[in-house]
Amino acid sequence: MSLDISFIGVLIGSIMASSVPLILAASGELITERSGVLNLGVEGMMIIGAIAGFALMVITDNLFIAIIGSMLSGVIISLIFGFLTQSLLTNHVATGLALTIFGIGLSAMIGKNFVGIPGKDFPILFSSLRESIPFFGPILFGHSIVLYFAFALPFLTNYFLKKTKLGLVVRAVGDSPVSASNQGINVILVRYCCILYGGGMCGLAGAYLSLIYTPQWIENMTAGRGWIALALVVFATWSPIKVLIGAIIFGGISILQLHMQAVGFRIPVQFLIALPYLMTIIVLVVISRDSRKIKLNTPTSLGRIFYKEK
Amino acid sequence: MATDLRISNISKIYPGCIANDNVSLQFKSGKIYALLGENGAGKSTLVKILSGVISPDNGEVFLNEKNLKLSSPLDAKKNKIGMVFQHFNLFETLSVFENLSIDATEDNKSLRVRINEILKKYNFSINLDVPVLNLSAGQKQKVEIIRCLLRSPKVLIMDEPTSVLTEQETEELFISLKKFCDEGILIIYITHKLKEVLSLCDEVAVMRKGKVVSVSQTQNEKVETLASKMVGQKLAKIKKKINTSKNKDEIFKVKHLNFYSDDPFETNLVNLNFSLKKGECLGIAGISGNGQNELFQILSGEIITPNTSIIFRNKEIAKLNPKQRREYLMAFSPEDRISQAAVPELKIYENVALNNFKSSNFFEKGLVNERKIKEHSKKILSDFSVNTDNVELKSQFLSGGNLQKLILGRELITAPELLICYNPTWGLDVGAINYIHETLIKINDEEKSTILISTDTEELLKLSDRIAVIYKGKLSKIMPSVEVTPEKLGILMGGGSID
Repeated sequence: MSLDISFIGVLIGSIMASSVPLILAASGELITERSGVLNLGVEGMMIIGAIAGFALMVITDNLFIAIIGSMLSGVIISLIFGFLTQSLLTNHVATGLALTIFGIGLSAMIGKNFVGIPGKDFPILFSSLRESIPFFGPILFGHSIVLYFAFALPFLTNYFLKKTKLGLVVRAVGDSPVSASNQGINVILVRYCCILYGGGMCGLAGAYLSLIYTPQWIENMTAGRGWIALALVVFATWSPIKVLIGAIIFGGISILQLHMQAVGFRIPVQFLIALPYLMTIIVLVVISRDSRKIKLNTPTSLGRIFYKEK
Repeated sequence: MATDLRISNISKIYPGCIANDNVSLQFKSGKIYALLGENGAGKSTLVKILSGVISPDNGEVFLNEKNLKLSSPLDAKKNKIGMVFQHFNLFETLSVFENLSIDATEDNKSLRVRINEILKKYNFSINLDVPVLNLSAGQKQKVEIIRCLLRSPKVLIMDEPTSVLTEQETEELFISLKKFCDEGILIIYITHKLKEVLSLCDEVAVMRKGKVVSVSQTQNEKVETLASKMVGQKLAKIKKKINTSKNKDEIFKVKHLNFYSDDPFETNLVNLNFSLKKGECLGIAGISGNGQNELFQILSGEIITPNTSIIFRNKEIAKLNPKQRREYLMAFSPEDRISQAAVPELKIYENVALNNFKSSNFFEKGLVNERKIKEHSKKILSDFSVNTDNVELKSQFLSGGNLQKLILGRELITAPELLICYNPTWGLDVGAINYIHETLIKINDEEKSTILISTDTEELLKLSDRIAVIYKGKLSKIMPSVEVTPEKLGILMGGGSID
């Protein structure tokens, strides 16, 4: 029996690890979207973060520089998006899609020289506690610092949006940029900041994949997680806590279905693979049914181009 | 301390239009000033310049002889110029308190104390912790006013403040404005409603085509004199012959109209019943947001509700879509001309073709019969005196009044038996309003019926044979318009009851 319980602990630990990139990317995108900007380039920014982090790790042999560098790379590539959509007033959807295609192509080009190089062990915290406490040990301890950060992030995001003045400004800009501008808020600046923040978080999410989760570089290794993160934000109706729940469900069922395949359940594999997508959508739709709350959380100006009268 | 605001030689030119042409005006505190003009006269441009939203090409603004540089809304705020825009600058999804705290410099606790002081002083009752989208238009306006008052303004500019208010709310607003004025705030009141100028303001400046054409004391003015200054010509008075004969055929009957929606932006409708006779105009009054949108959409067939019966010319049409209803000779003119009635990016003749009938032969074997549509459009343009004869013009370049004439023309040229219109003169100037009113009266004279859903009580009293009020999705009893007064309507529109 004790063996079963410890196995479940390890399982939960691995589920948490697999949901980290989704939480990071979705939390970043959530802030961007709350300011009224729809950035469909999440996948592209993640993959750029992944290759930037891995390449910097190989070149400098320093994981700290690699992590910071991956975030910076996300910021820089989102700056392109920001410049195009906010300064040149291009369409958000088209620009975001272009960003993703650009990111995937660029990462593959840079990554050619890094295929097959083994990654480095990322330091984990409290590894002794992990072994000594049954069940809770593998859940609470022995993770990288990024995981702890990721699990705190939705709560921090929630606090930021609901309780701080800056969060209020972000929500106001997303609700009505024209009113915000008439109140003297620099809408373009606020939106730039939110875009860059989203880019940074997506970069970190990518680096988590290439440095911690599966420490190596594989072309296209984000494998659609950016799109899942985008969908999570919408299905979680722009609520950070629901993003967290959705990410855990998606990560959880992804891991569980692997085990189910391994055990040899008599369920078609295709169905098992589709299961995480299906369940995440169902659960989020069910918990977000309150149409009143949806209206209040949805950034009214999402995806609309704003320009200032002169 | 006395405030003195001086505008000197302001000009602002947009491509193809001179919005402000060398405008000079002077205002002193202790008085309420009216800035009167039709749509497009340049009032809003001037106000936007004063509030720093746009900057003028030429000219200067002086406050107490200090030259102001107003290059952003922040500059206006710093110089204690407060502004309540016609389209509210509020954040609908944020709470009232959040809306007020967003540009405050103090902490939330003392801000709340100060807001409560203002609420008490001016007798405003507003719950600070509900989202703004739950407030009525009058309450939203109060939130805007509070936002200005929090900054203890020297100048308060109100841009068309009563266009969304009820009679009672308007009275309350006027009382507050007079109080502000007594406290030394300089008030500039922008409007195109003549009666308001006479009842509220001390001095009036009239603008026409970007120029100031007259400045005078309101006590020396009358409605007629102001109107002719504003329009630049004399207006014919129109009056409807009230239709009271009881033995006419019933043409339209609605029974058990119910509508339920989860959407917090929509209003539920509760058991509406009414009928309409040939040649009659039924007015439906109410403050916007009390279910008029939903009612219009149900009557036009955009929303189909279960268990509702709509009889039109002895046929049950409740399950038919808008196109099918048009085939039965109903016509519709929605409130939002730009987004509901017409496609602004399309040319005039293309917009005319949108409303196609089997009988119109606009399309043959799936192809567009351009020649036919253009002929038809030309006829509409001349019959309804739209200010252009170019059917290739994109609809977005028509002014509100001309676009409305085009839409009415499009709807009426097929000789419908019933026209349903929602705020047909919303935001139009006096000349265009007059024309639309004449047209609507003519329809009734030709024994065709109209349902007029409107937020403008004056218009309703002028055009309707019978009037009902819609409040929170419920319809009051239907009254002959001769028995109705603006006061009665106001009470019903605010949720009160008469008799």
